[in-house]
Parts: sequence; structure tokens; C-alpha cells
Amino acid sequence: MKKKALLIRLAAVALCVALGAVMMVVGRGHTIYLDNKTIEDYQGQEYKSFERVNITVPGEDEVIKLAKRERDMATCMGQSFHMTVEVIEKKGDEPRVEEIDLKLPYNMDGIIVNLPALLAGLPEEAWMTEFIPAPEPEDSSEEEPNIGDEFGMGEDLGMEGDAVA
Amino acid sequence: MKMKKSFNGFDFLQNNLVPLMFIIICVICYPLADLSPGHLLNEIVNRMGRNIFLILSLLIPIMAGMGLNFGMTLGAMAGQIALIFVTDWQIWGIPGVVLAMLLSIPLSVLLGLMCGKLMNMAKGREMILGYMMNYFVGGLYQLVVLFLMGSVIPIIHASVRLPRGFGIRTTVNLTSMRQCLDNLIAPRPYGVKIPVLNFIIIAVLCLFIIWFRRTKLGQDMRAVGQDMEVARAAGINVDRTRIISIIISTVFAGFGQIIYLQNLGNFATYTAHTQTGMFCIAALLVGGASVEKASIGNVFLGVILFHTMFIVAPRAGIAITGDAMIGEYFRVFVSYGVITLALVMYEIKKRRAKSQGGALLAQAQKEGGVQA
Repeated sequence: MKKKALLIRLAAVALCVALGAVMMVVGRGHTIYLDNKTIEDYQGQEYKSFERVNITVPGEDEVIKLAKRERDMATCMGQSFHMTVEVIEKKGDEPRVEEIDLKLPYNMDGIIVNLPALLAGLPEEAWMTEFIPAPEPEDSSEEEPNIGDEFGMGEDLGMEGDAVA
Repeated sequence: MKMKKSFNGFDFLQNNLVPLMFIIICVICYPLADLSPGHLLNEIVNRMGRNIFLILSLLIPIMAGMGLNFGMTLGAMAGQIALIFVTDWQIWGIPGVVLAMLLSIPLSVLLGLMCGKLMNMAKGREMILGYMMNYFVGGLYQLVVLFLMGSVIPIIHASVRLPRGFGIRTTVNLTSMRQCLDNLIAPRPYGVKIPVLNFIIIAVLCLFIIWFRRTKLGQDMRAVGQDMEVARAAGINVDRTRIISIIISTVFAGFGQIIYLQNLGNFATYTAHTQTGMFCIAALLVGGASVEKASIGNVFLGVILFHTMFIVAPRAGIAITGDAMIGEYFRVFVSYGVITLALVMYEIKKRRAKSQGGALLAQAQKEGGVQA
């Protein structure tokens, strides 16, 4: 009987751990920065920005519209990202529609995706870079949270005897 | 054969004094507050969705005779620590909430175990012990969150850490999971948003409590709650039963705090848990519960009345005095006042029952003596 109870408890713990692991994978959030910028020199070749790009991301209310040299962002939960890209390469060209699926690295919060390099079929290192936010200016007011003196006695705890004297 | 009880107005008034008082306050304040019924209903439904789970966590210790579990704040702290980790690891939405709940379980169990063991050493003084435990564990929480996180416990993101490099910022932003439970299924009949998923979770907990009361452990808890000595004589391990009831309550309080905070969308790292126990207990008492008896109905009525007062009091304060702070003071005063009143009434009832019992015994002895 005791062995059975122990087995049930171990199974419950294992289930919780497994569920936690699944949640960590499916819930991992990423911010994808979509760039329509020229790559000037990748192995001696230039990949020019597009005239116009319209991107539809499932779950996002609005279509992302990028002109030349523009950047916008989308958010994504999980390790794969799907988008429908409508590209007008040069003025007067017919729009070309492509469905794109990306595998996202787990350890990156912000990922910059260069669309001209991606659509040219270059390897991942050419179109994917990590977005590292600029350090925020230090806010000294948040240096020390105001805690620990709920009775409002300040430094005078009345225990030194000087008030009595 | 069932005995028909005659209606006693005095008993009814005595048993329902607090809810009746609140109904009167709400009825007086509502027209003064000048709120549309739709707005009021929207606010009440929203607050029901985020608060009921927390308050339900108080029922099991009451069943086990341990009174109002002020130690539920320990579970709230465990929930907050779990939320800090989940925010730092960038787990968003419902998976973030589920992961925070899973992470809070071991912390809540540990804190509940400690609290239960201490309460077993101070039987009959559980409420004051639970209240003081909040301060003690609150200090430990501050030590962990202010000094160990970022220095010993890895915290990756600068947006979560204090600028000095260790410790957690005074406000933790939960935008990535804000109202993810509330908004998943949220029909809006007549403009009133109903957080269906929250109510489903609450319904599951209510069903669990009803089922749990009928289990062997639940029956043991009720027996312990009625008379510890009799329960011990019947072979029930009283101490173990009491510890389990506090652990269950602490774990549910951790879950409840996570549900509560995902609704708000951010939390004050060092103070969010401090009033949790007080307001939940006040709401339960407003619903007509007492130190020794509480039901699911008391929870629902309490949340409706207590939060109606919370919504209308500041605006009624503006209408009467021109100052919203009067309403704020009033609702804090009422929260503490209602707990005091409930404790005083509990003590009066206990003494009255004791003296009535003594009188009956004396009468029985007298009659026995006459017959002899």
C-alpha cells in the first residue's frame, strides 16, 4: 500500500515537471523585429531593401507595412513563427506573396530578421541577429525600495535611554 | 422525525448582522455614487473573477477548526516569487500562468508545512500565530527578493533587476500575461465582460471542496474541527490532519494570488501580499461566515457585498464630503472593523454557549438530586 502511494506521488511530481517543461517551451515569448534594410556586403554581394513589404502575422490585429529602410515588430509565443509576406521589389512590380516559417532560438528574447536576406535564401547567420536593447539610464529613485519601517519610527527606537535622560 | 425550528428574529439578526449591515451600506451609498448599473455590474463580475479563488482557499482550515487562516499570505508570497521567475524567463500568456502555479507549489507546501507545524504547537491561538507568521516570512521574502535574487539566484533581465545589479524592482510588469485568463473566453452580454475561464476554474475549486468534504480526509478534518480530543480518541492523527489543511490552503492561496495578479497586470514586489489575507478574510466575514463556520455561499455573497462597498464608497465619499479619501479611509476602516466585530461576536457566542451548557448541567444535576 505504501509502495503504491509512493508511486502515485512520484508520478504526480513527474507530471508536474513534464507540464512545466512543456509550458516553458510553448510559452516562451519572443519579439521579432522585421527589417526592410539593405545588406551592403554579404560575401561581396549587396541585397537591396524592397520597395514595399506587407506582413500578416496570425494573432496580430494589423498588417505590418514596411517601406524602404523601415523596421517594425511582432510578438510570438513558442519556438516557431509563421508569417505571410507580400513583397513589391521595385516600383511598378507585381506583388509576390510568400509563406514563411521560422524556427526561433530559445535563448533570444528579441530577434532581428532581415527580410531582403531572408527572401534571398541566405543562411540563417545572414538574416538573423539578436536584438540587444540599449541600457536604460539609471533611475536612482528605485535603488532602494522603501521597506522595513512599517511603524514609522525612523532611526529612533527609544532604546538608547537618551530621551529619558 | 424532523423538528421544525421556529423563526427567531433575534437569532437571525445576530447570525446575519454583518451581511445586513453591508447591504444597508451598499443601498445607501449606491445612489450617492451615481454609477450606472452596467458599470457597477462589470466591476463586480471582474472582481469576482479575480478574488473568489483566493477567498475559497480559506475554507479548508476553517473546516479543520483552525479559524481564519491569516497565514494564506505565505501562499501569496510563493505565488509572487513564482511570477518573478516566470517574468524573468519570458514565459508569456496562459503557459506563464500555469508555470507560475506549478513553481509556486513546492514553495507553498514548504511554507504551509512550517506554518502548520507551528500552529500545532500553539493550538487555540492559530489566528494570531498566522498573523505574526506573515511578518516573519515577510522578512524572509524581502531577504530573498531584495538581496539574493540577482546575486545568488540568477535573474537575467535588467528590466526585472534593480539598477544596482541585484534585487528585484519595486514593480514587476506582467504585461505579457495580463488578463490572459480573463480574455480567453470573454462574452460581453449587455456590455458586461464575463471572464468565463476564471469562473470555470472557480467552479472546479468549488467542486473540489464539496468532494473533499466527503472524503476520509475531509471527514477527519471536520471531526478535528468539532473536537480535537474526540477525534484523537477515534484514532485520527490530529496534528497531521491540521498540517494538511494548512498546506492545501497555502497552495490554493498561491494559485489565487497568481490569478489575482494576472488580472491586474503588474504587482508591487514588496507590498502586494501584505493586505491579501486581511481583505480576503474581511470579504469572507462580510458574507456571513464566522471563525468556525464558512461555506462557498458565504464566499460569493461576501465578494459581492465587500466589493460593491469598495466600488461605491470612494464615489459616495466624494458626493458627501467632496473628498475621495474619505471613502478610502471608510473602506479600510470597515475591513478591519468587520474582522474585529466577527471575532468579538465569536467570543460572545462561545461564552454564551458555555454558560448555557453550564446552566443545563446544573439543572440536570438538580433534577437528578430531587429524584434521588
